[in-house]
Amino acid sequence: MGKETVQYEVSRDLSFSDLARALAPSFGLLAEVEEPGERVFYDTFDGRLHRAGMWLVHGDGRFALGNGDGSEVAGLEWPKAPREVLAAALPGGRLREALVALTDVRPAARLAHVRVRQRSLRVLDQRRKTVVRLRLEQPVLAGPTNAELTPRLVAAGITGYDKALKEVRRLLALEPALTEANVSLQDEAVALCGHAPGGVSSNVDVTFRADDPATLVAAKIGQRLLEVIELNLPGALAGRDSECLHDARVAIRRTRALQRALRDSFPAEPLRQFRAEFRWLQQVTGASRDLDVYLLEFEAFRSTLPGRQQEGLERLLELLGERRARERRRMARALRSSRAQDALGGWAELLGDLPTTHGTEAAGPVSEVVGARIRRVFRTMVAAGGGIDDASAPTALHDLRKQGKELRYLLEFFTSLYPAEAIKPIVRTLKALQDTLGRFQDRQIQAELVHSLGEEVRSLPDGACALMAMGQLVERLDDQQAQARAEFGARFAEFASSRHHALVHEVFA
Amino acid sequence: MTHVLATYNIKGGVGKTSAAVNLAYLAASDGARTLLWDLDPQGASTYLLRIKPKVKGGARKLVHGRTDAARHIKGTDYERLDLLPADFSYRHMDLALDATKRPTRRLSRVLGPLRVDYDYIILDCPPSISLVSESVFRAADALLIPLIPATLSARTVEQIERVVEKDARLLTFFSMADGRKRMHREVMQDMASQYPEMLHTAVPFAADVERMGAHRMVLEEFSPRGRAAKAYRQLWQEVRERLN
Repeated sequence: MGKETVQYEVSRDLSFSDLARALAPSFGLLAEVEEPGERVFYDTFDGRLHRAGMWLVHGDGRFALGNGDGSEVAGLEWPKAPREVLAAALPGGRLREALVALTDVRPAARLAHVRVRQRSLRVLDQRRKTVVRLRLEQPVLAGPTNAELTPRLVAAGITGYDKALKEVRRLLALEPALTEANVSLQDEAVALCGHAPGGVSSNVDVTFRADDPATLVAAKIGQRLLEVIELNLPGALAGRDSECLHDARVAIRRTRALQRALRDSFPAEPLRQFRAEFRWLQQVTGASRDLDVYLLEFEAFRSTLPGRQQEGLERLLELLGERRARERRRMARALRSSRAQDALGGWAELLGDLPTTHGTEAAGPVSEVVGARIRRVFRTMVAAGGGIDDASAPTALHDLRKQGKELRYLLEFFTSLYPAEAIKPIVRTLKALQDTLGRFQDRQIQAELVHSLGEEVRSLPDGACALMAMGQLVERLDDQQAQARAEFGARFAEFASSRHHALVHEVFA
Repeated sequence: MTHVLATYNIKGGVGKTSAAVNLAYLAASDGARTLLWDLDPQGASTYLLRIKPKVKGGARKLVHGRTDAARHIKGTDYERLDLLPADFSYRHMDLALDATKRPTRRLSRVLGPLRVDYDYIILDCPPSISLVSESVFRAADALLIPLIPATLSARTVEQIERVVEKDARLLTFFSMADGRKRMHREVMQDMASQYPEMLHTAVPFAADVERMGAHRMVLEEFSPRGRAAKAYRQLWQEVRERLN
């Protein structure tokens, strides 16, 4: 099904006759009616479609999802271009299926709206069969500016006529007004609208050398994390994309791990204050995130109950939605407060003031500082996890999960300092352990939340039915939590194996 | 989900190919990725769409699974409409099927990998009752059966009902209907009451349909305002509603 598409930038007015002349005598050219068109381009905040080499566009009353070679893989009639597209909310079919796999829970937001004056042309072979489609486009950005975009010629291959496209490309390469485009129309329009064509990354991706001073590294990583927080906060406050809040929280938690791991790189008293402030930032965003996770998983939970009980959960779903709205308002107040602004602004200033040149040995070379911290966190985890048995309180597992997060962040921050092959098995088993601990904790929080809504539901007119369904739901959550607990022993043993002990002491010496 | 439709009738010259080509075009212009497989060795659909009637390796390799059907697909002049062309060797497709295990499942197997790429697959069948048609009955979700309003029409429907799979959906419609002929009008009235599940659209007898061969185009291209083009649009609307 490969139907290659090539885009050319057009440097001057290119008429039908110019093109006909360029392609003659091998091919004929047939012009179709000139039509105005509209295209609205979409992608997720973190550019998942772009990263996968795909595109989602709305035009002519339908969505089209396409791949890198320009061919459409799924389409759906949809009269008006919406502000955003949440894959799970689309009607069942190929587009929904493909989009869920690509974007998961993230909505694809409208990034650019382009108006195009376009003329389609058919390239014909000797038997008058269409073998390549051409489209001359004169695009402008829709909106008050009407900014002009680069005029383009798009050559689209037709299944089974690859040789013809090759020949057409050869002939078009000889036309001085055409150059193959390096940037697609979508990327050009998206950039002109002030967005990053590949989306906003929340990865840390900071590079440094093993002998760089720890202060320099602390400043670099801290600044990148702060950038991630600030990029994601508007989305978290708007509440339309649950993953913005998630990514902001991860960056906050990573900042706290950095503050602990490289504590000697920061001035002691301000650091104490900022650690408290970042702990607060994490607390004020926690309830909203817990409810997001609950609601994202709600349909999966509901599907485990028998049909009639599923209906009973409708009221619970409404209550959870109301509670999330309340928590979001509370979170928004906190994040917009001067306390939050001071915390983030002050932390930015502190990072900017850190001595970052070689020869400032306040905290020593980063490799020494970090190696010692990783060894220590690993040892602490092994000791804490080894002490967990059937009688241990759930808090013991929660605390272990927190330590696991710190270890994972440290391994991610400083991965460039260590041989990838050596740390891979540690990361792999740590991830598996964290997944189990995460499920254990999430199910507990979720069951407690259902309990906490019991009184409210009981007082409702249809409360009895809902309560029965909620009882069943809590049972399912308890079962899943028990299952995670049963998995814990094996997961922990893999992580804390003697081989990993030896590896940690050797690699992080 | 991919819908597999087949235009079928035991008799020839009833408008199967016109229906297959025009409905496939309408599906594609609605935005659906559509494949038309011209199973008739005469290759009328292939001719109308200006494509060479040639499948390397012929029917035998195709039904034996020794060649990938996708390799033989050609894009047509119309966006989103592709064709798996006819080949003269299709006249021996019965023999090729007969030489396989479970011959009636063969066409389904050939279509299997193509389902990922298409929303509609339309099979334009040769007129006969044979292993090819049995294989088509098995592969298709619905059979589109054009009927000329004649005294033997009811008998044709009965014959088809006898041979198709129990759960196959029959979407029967009148084709080449001539409202000026009293007999056509009477047959259509009788059959509508005898078979209330019949599609309501009747494709008229029209010179436009005959001219498709001269233009080598679908009706929408050269006579979009004609009665026949209008009827095919209504027919497609009705088929879509029935499928959903």
